[in-house]
Amino acid sequence: MKPRLHRIALYTTIVAILAIALFPFWWMIDESLKQPVEIFSGANLYPHHPTMSNYSQLFNDYHFGSYLENSILVVTVTVFVSLVLGTLAAYSLARFNLRLGLNQSALVVALLVRMIPAILLVIPLYLMLARWGLLNTRIGLIIIYTGINTSFVIWMMQSFLAEIPRDIEEAAMVDGDTRLSALRRVVLPLAAPGLAATAIFSVIATYNDFLIALSLTSTPAAQTVPVGVSTLIGKIQIQVGPMAAAGVIGALPIVIFALIVQRHFVRGLTLGAVK
Amino acid sequence: MAQATVKRRRVRAARASLPGGPYLLLVPAMVALALVSLWPLYYGVRASLTHYLYGRDFGSAGLDNYRRIWSDPYFHQAMSTTAKYVVIVVTCETLLGLGLALLVSREIRFASPIRVGLILPMTIAPVVAGVMWRLIYDSGIGVTDPLFQAFGFSAPEVLANNTSAFIAVCVVDIWEWTPLVFLIVLAGLQSLPQEPLEAARVDGAGRVRLFFDHTLPLLAPVLLVAIVLRTIDAIGTFDQIYVLTQGGPGVSTQLISIYAYNTAFQFSQYGLAAAMLIALLAMVALLMIAAVRLMKRVAV
Repeated sequence: MKPRLHRIALYTTIVAILAIALFPFWWMIDESLKQPVEIFSGANLYPHHPTMSNYSQLFNDYHFGSYLENSILVVTVTVFVSLVLGTLAAYSLARFNLRLGLNQSALVVALLVRMIPAILLVIPLYLMLARWGLLNTRIGLIIIYTGINTSFVIWMMQSFLAEIPRDIEEAAMVDGDTRLSALRRVVLPLAAPGLAATAIFSVIATYNDFLIALSLTSTPAAQTVPVGVSTLIGKIQIQVGPMAAAGVIGALPIVIFALIVQRHFVRGLTLGAVK
Repeated sequence: MAQATVKRRRVRAARASLPGGPYLLLVPAMVALALVSLWPLYYGVRASLTHYLYGRDFGSAGLDNYRRIWSDPYFHQAMSTTAKYVVIVVTCETLLGLGLALLVSREIRFASPIRVGLILPMTIAPVVAGVMWRLIYDSGIGVTDPLFQAFGFSAPEVLANNTSAFIAVCVVDIWEWTPLVFLIVLAGLQSLPQEPLEAARVDGAGRVRLFFDHTLPLLAPVLLVAIVLRTIDAIGTFDQIYVLTQGGPGVSTQLISIYAYNTAFQFSQYGLAAAMLIALLAMVALLMIAAVRLMKRVAV
């Protein structure tokens, strides 16, 4: 009897905690499907007259098409470029004994760059881009994000590549492959799951960034989705329905991606320190 | 002819062994890193020593910006608000994350979907988390006011009152980031050596004794990594606050990040803002060094 009570208490606690973790998601979806009248008529836990009007309003009146387009473009280019740069560097660090203790110090530098809070960077970055004439451009955002994300790729890929036995590529090189073709033909396919996880984490981090995009862009020509979400919060009143809909659009792709890589989450968060 | 073949062979051999190549592979990435670390650091230090008026560079200011923030009561206020915020959220997240990990690490059903559900909050953008909780807190649309009224209290109008607004932004942080501590600790728990725990259990140690004498010390390095990572991140908290309160009401939720941001982008005082951030960097740098050392030790 006692162990059974114990289990009931355990599951009740878990369900309660899950409810707290997930309720805000439901409430946002709920609000995004309500008409204004219903939003202001008390806390209904599900929409009585569901409507998509908030979503269409978002794209018709609030430039959400451009925010989404900017986000997709910036994220795609950033992730691609930083994966190339970071993986090459990671390969060098994982396979060669470099001089001057570079193997260690390059990783430490990457780690430090990864950890710098964005707020410490935005003011100098703003002044830099202003001087280069790249404020409020997508290419400006891409350059900055690529730099930041490369640090992450180096760490993740170094840890994934180090797990692949050297013998395999050495065998390929005996068979006539060059270093780089062995990397492309033999090593990368083996590292593909790690590469995919790294790519998805990079997408999440880049798509989710708010502060850098907020500081470096000023119009829908370059603003990204998270900045777009914040424009719906005026000084005096907020556009509740569209804001909830924007939040859903901001969260949806990320939640899907996160579900794909959840197995690798710990490594991604601690940069390989805990696996 | 023969010479050309030899040459070609040599080239191929050179390619295979990649002399100097390992360094060449590193260069583009290191340039990219420098672009977002060394270069901004240089710009930031220089801006902090420059006098700006209406956003325009008006020449060298010496240490004036640093003197001004030193005697600025709002800067001190923002620093102490940040310190309070960081201590509260990191403490709560550590305790809750640890408790949650211990709860879920046992043999339970549906372990995998439960774990996914629990980590969902930390995957979304902090801005979106801010939006979610704004929809919960706001009077007229939210659920907190009706909830309090249902239990016979008056509507708290959470975001309109100094103390409750501060608690409210802390709750959002705890909601979003407890999962991070939870996940890291869970991974740590699962990789703990089982033998000493078994031995202690055979010796008749109770659950509580077992936890404090054996599990916790073994877990400490992993837990420390989680704490330091969270602390660094919490110091830079900006996004949710910007969406929820913009630092208000008054200055009750004005963290250093919000104050520095406003100083730069509302009042165009780039020099002052840069000085604030350099001061903050000095503190964060120590934590980052600690983090690097801890993570190395855990990784081994």
